Amino acid sequence: MARIELINLNKSFGAVQAVKNLNFTIEDGEFVVFVGPSGCGKTTTLRMIAGFEDPTSGEIRIDGRVINDLEPRDRNLGMVFQSHALFPHKNVAQNIEFGLRMKKVPPEERGRRVREVADMVRIGHLLGKMPAQCSGGESQRVALARTLVTNPSTFLLDEPLSSLDAKLRRELRAECDRLHQVLKRTFIFVTHDQEEAMTLADRIVVMRDGEIVQVGSPMEIYSNPVNYFIADFFGSPSMNLVAGEVVRNNGVAHFRSALFDIPLPGRLSSAGTGKGTLGIRPEHVGINIIGKTGTALPVRLVEPLGKDTLLYFDAGTDRAFVAVSEGLDMADTKIGERLTLSLDERRMHLFDEQGLSIRGT
Amino acid sequence: MITRSRRRLISATVRYAILSIWGVVAFFPIYWMVSTSFKPDIQWFAWPPVYFPDPPTLTNYMNVWLGAEQYDQTQYAISSQTPLVSLWNTTVIAFSSTFLAVAFGSVLAYGVSRYRILSEARMFQLLMLRMIPPIVVVAPLSLYYSALGLLDTRIGVIMVYFLTTLPYAVWMTKSFIDEVPREVEQAAEILGASRWRTVFEIVLPLIRSGLVATFLFILILTWSEYLLALIITKTQVSTLPIELSKYQGSTEGRVYGRQAALAVGITIPLMVVGLIIRKHLARGFSFGMIRR
Repeated sequence: MARIELINLNKSFGAVQAVKNLNFTIEDGEFVVFVGPSGCGKTTTLRMIAGFEDPTSGEIRIDGRVINDLEPRDRNLGMVFQSHALFPHKNVAQNIEFGLRMKKVPPEERGRRVREVADMVRIGHLLGKMPAQCSGGESQRVALARTLVTNPSTFLLDEPLSSLDAKLRRELRAECDRLHQVLKRTFIFVTHDQEEAMTLADRIVVMRDGEIVQVGSPMEIYSNPVNYFIADFFGSPSMNLVAGEVVRNNGVAHFRSALFDIPLPGRLSSAGTGKGTLGIRPEHVGINIIGKTGTALPVRLVEPLGKDTLLYFDAGTDRAFVAVSEGLDMADTKIGERLTLSLDERRMHLFDEQGLSIRGT
Repeated sequence: MITRSRRRLISATVRYAILSIWGVVAFFPIYWMVSTSFKPDIQWFAWPPVYFPDPPTLTNYMNVWLGAEQYDQTQYAISSQTPLVSLWNTTVIAFSSTFLAVAFGSVLAYGVSRYRILSEARMFQLLMLRMIPPIVVVAPLSLYYSALGLLDTRIGVIMVYFLTTLPYAVWMTKSFIDEVPREVEQAAEILGASRWRTVFEIVLPLIRSGLVATFLFILILTWSEYLLALIITKTQVSTLPIELSKYQGSTEGRVYGRQAALAVGITIPLMVVGLIIRKHLARGFSFGMIRR
């Protein structure tokens, strides 16, 4: 059992306030991902939960008990570090065994449990090796095993995959997911990678400048970003964001930019006039749909990815306007060709001048 | 037209010629010391110089180290203390002060590295202490020592060596501790290790080679220290460097052969220590031993 509550949590380093008045509860067995750009306070938050940083003010509770004054070793947590942090002078088996030895588990049981977790994360063949002889992916599996073996109530993972290459990252991501399902423990995962957050989390906590910007399931965050920053941060390729203004023509709200003039759907019609940004995800942009009118833009770049084809349009801004077409049907599109685009109005987002999402009523 | 390979050959020749000359210049005094220690007394000053002792003799060693029969006959009774006693003094003083300096220095360095108990400025000031020439402090020091009854005692010499080498120990061990990633220690802590356990089981083994290198470096300093020992010892406690200087006094003349035999004896123990720990030295002096 581990239900972790962060109450009015603050952390300052000198004049820099790294974490600002954080209030958040992580439910038992939940997989929560803290995500945000570097310096947003996510790692500091994790390190406060672990006990490596003292909060400047506020409380951390585990299952209702305040743990601010507990040493890291008394919190019954497990942590996996970005750098793996294996003990270089101990072999893999000794690394995994370390936590059990500290807890004074008898030797026979230690050996049994080490083999058990080693098999669980598929490193049984590495037990006699030194960390320096292990590859990056293997090292991270050893680090996972070393944490698993002590059976902590909560796993804290500080960007555990960011030092690995793309293929290993996917592999270990699946591993984390599987472990969470098997162990049914609380997982707190910190990353700056939106894709990791999307694929792993039960709930995502988006942080920026020491504050929580949005909390929600991956789908909520993806479909209903509360502001421009999150809309831009999640999704690959990212959301098309077109700067322009909201105007009213005969009482009907329109979004207008250099190339677009789109009547706003009913749910966004309450938007006030003035500067704004229109957002739409590439997969919600239709190309050349017969019988539909829309805006015609020239193609700047075609990226056939196999499963889909990405089309980058010149929208008269720094950022290209991207549309996705399924399969390779559009792969032969000529550069410069003008195609008509239609935007799915149910999936349109509108952000006001401050970058806040205008929610439909 | 000089070809590429020819140019390389010439540059290599020049390089090795310069290095060889330098090698001869650097090693000649050591050769001369060893060679003189085996010379009979008439060859010490001989002109033209005698490069190889003829015949080689152990008389110098017997006289100096064992106080053999010839000692009285040749009237070279110079010191009131036999070198074996001095060797024992030097060994006790050098090893204990070095041990103390490394032990205390590494604890202090751990505090500096992990808890920042000394700021950068304080650390620099610590090293600055070493920039004061020892001769400046010997007069007040000998007054204090005389008042405290530490003059001419082993403990007195150990204390002053310990204090004067502590800054080196702190600086050197700190650089090794800095190399140990903080996260490795934190991993041990969250796995249930106490702070002391972490230090003894994780940090110390990782910096072992560094500690050995620091130990040898400081041992070299304390083993051959002369000036402070000269002032704060009199007759009861004499170290080898002091003994060595006695063979070149105004009254005794220059007893080169005996002095050389003593010098060889002073050098060998350090070289033996160096050879024993050479595996650690190579690793200790090549930083970045821990893969991040």
